[in-house]
Amino acid sequence: MSFYTNRLGKFLKAKTDVEISAQPEFEDQTLDFSDVEQLMGSINTIPAPSAPVINPQAPNSATGSSVRVCWSLYSDDTVESYQLSYRPVQDSSPGKDQAAFTVTVKETYCSVTNLVPNTQYEFWVTAHNRAGPSPSSEHAVYMTAPSPPIIKTKEIRSCEEAVLICWESGNLNPVDSYTVELTQAESPEASGVTESVVGIPTCESLVQLQPGQSYIIYVRALNTGGPSVRSEPAAVHTIGLYFRLNKDTCHPWLIISEDGLTVVRSERRIPARELSSSDTRFTRCVAVMGNLIPVRGHHYWEVEVDEHLDYTVGVAFEDVTKQEDLGANCLSWCMRHTFASSRHKYEFLHNRTTPDIRITVPPKKIGILLDYENSKLSFFNVDLSQHLYTFSCQLHEFVYPCFSLENPGCLKVHNGISMPKHVTFY
Amino acid sequence: MALKQISSNKCFGGLQKVFEHDSVELNCKMKFAVYLPPKAETEKCPALYWLSGLTCTEQNFISKSGYHQAASEHGLVVIAPDTSPRGCNIKGEDESWDFGTGAGFYVDATEDPWKTNYRMYSYVTEELPQLINANFPVDPQRMSVFGHSMGGHGALICALKNPGKYKSVSAFAPICNPVLCPWGKKAFSGYLGTDQSKWKAYDATSLVKSYRGSQLDILIDQGKDDQFLLDGQLLPDDFIAACTEKKIPVVFRLQEGYDHSYYFIATFITDHIRHHAKYLNA
Repeated sequence: MSFYTNRLGKFLKAKTDVEISAQPEFEDQTLDFSDVEQLMGSINTIPAPSAPVINPQAPNSATGSSVRVCWSLYSDDTVESYQLSYRPVQDSSPGKDQAAFTVTVKETYCSVTNLVPNTQYEFWVTAHNRAGPSPSSEHAVYMTAPSPPIIKTKEIRSCEEAVLICWESGNLNPVDSYTVELTQAESPEASGVTESVVGIPTCESLVQLQPGQSYIIYVRALNTGGPSVRSEPAAVHTIGLYFRLNKDTCHPWLIISEDGLTVVRSERRIPARELSSSDTRFTRCVAVMGNLIPVRGHHYWEVEVDEHLDYTVGVAFEDVTKQEDLGANCLSWCMRHTFASSRHKYEFLHNRTTPDIRITVPPKKIGILLDYENSKLSFFNVDLSQHLYTFSCQLHEFVYPCFSLENPGCLKVHNGISMPKHVTFY
Repeated sequence: MALKQISSNKCFGGLQKVFEHDSVELNCKMKFAVYLPPKAETEKCPALYWLSGLTCTEQNFISKSGYHQAASEHGLVVIAPDTSPRGCNIKGEDESWDFGTGAGFYVDATEDPWKTNYRMYSYVTEELPQLINANFPVDPQRMSVFGHSMGGHGALICALKNPGKYKSVSAFAPICNPVLCPWGKKAFSGYLGTDQSKWKAYDATSLVKSYRGSQLDILIDQGKDDQFLLDGQLLPDDFIAACTEKKIPVVFRLQEGYDHSYYFIATFITDHIRHHAKYLNA
């Protein structure tokens, strides 16, 4: 055994020289694979997508705080996600662009929320895959719907055949138009018909109604994004007349009650000589006008008076001289009561003239009938169903109820009264 | 009571008729005018009585006042009696135009030689309505009265002496206070004698002071240029003062430029018819 181990051992310990003494004649057979590599590489990597096409805003798809943006991809590109960017449309002033928000979605649509009502937003979208983003789509402008208007319920004026409603826009910026919706109050949720008046350009509307009914009215604002939600409702009754005293016409010595139906003259505050002339406000005659609905037809209202008070009630054109007494010009017609030396005097004044009329029982409640069709204005003692006087008056324009108090006291207007039968004879 | 038709003329779709009958109260033949509106063909209508003034017959009102259109439109039967008994041959009845014939003053006379025939108050308030109710399509519950001058006095006293009988009353230039005016004093002393306490029963101003009836609504028109007003025959101020005191509702209209004639009546007759229609057609 040791013979072989020694020889093996020596062999194993001997260094081996691997160098070949003579170089063989080999060709360099190394292949250049770089082209192939590239080719193979391009087969494995997908390209970035082409630009999506953003859709124009679908009508009525917006709410006051959200819009639904849609787009399409017109190619077979692989898309892993879309990135939707948006910002409010700026004014044309150049300069720093406002920062944009972005949302990443997998679908080709997105409902973007938390937006401001009645505002235009610029949207653009890019498609993304492993290779990177697509070019941007065109920028599309979407608009949120407006905020709902606010009906000015205290200023509603109505008669038996129409209502004049006005409202606040509810939006800082202009909207395109408004819609008024009305239903009869008995069946607001039932299959009662909702009538709509569309395309109203301003914040008021005169709507024709049926007499003797109750209605609920809503208003919506509209823009290219769609309609707002309904406003808070307002109730309208077409029984008799509804109007309020107009604070803008009121002489400074008069106070109008909260409900707009009572006028009080108390002690003087501002001395008369300090009141400057005005076109809208009475400055000499201590009077106020009422906001009767400007609609022709028959209108009837009542005024409660104190029989010891000197007062004047009637109608006048809107531009009646505010520096003159009611009935002193040809722009007003009225009944004046003066109580002096325990005697009641009644005058029916127009252009400073009155017929000579004596009335033995002083009325406590005066009924007034304004008849545009027959050009008449009539006065009644309501409690006695007694006719007092009728003017024939040329009413080429609308007239408005007017009231004045010649000494401290109050007058109260009564609304919503159906014309009593005795009045129909006049 | 037999009625003899004297005339009939169509007017505003209705019929203006005149009848004659033998009056029990007045003991003579009496004529009266009746207008039947178109509505009377099919239903009973309210009745409106017109009392004429001094010197009138049943003809003046129906020919001069122009009331037919309003009566036709409001569907009222309008009755206009004569102003006194006729043809009674009473001595002195034709001596004055303001006493006797044509001047019955709507009283029941108590003095001779008038008391047999001059009972116009009962004729107008009792006999005539009963006759009308029995012979014409009227509703006996709906009756009103109006008149002119002496007839205005007649209308006022009929209403004030019969609370609830008439639904409404109105007058043109009425003699409001006969006990104080020349006409009244002459007529009452002749028909009623010298005891002035008996006169008050036929004086509207006196009657108002003690009126205790259902509410009235009185319309009075008075021409401002009426000679008799200026002569103190009519005295509306007394009546108005009494009504103000007693809270009787009156609307008194002094009409500028108008006199005592039928031109004045014709101008305002429509207002009066409407005033009555309001209560009769309620």
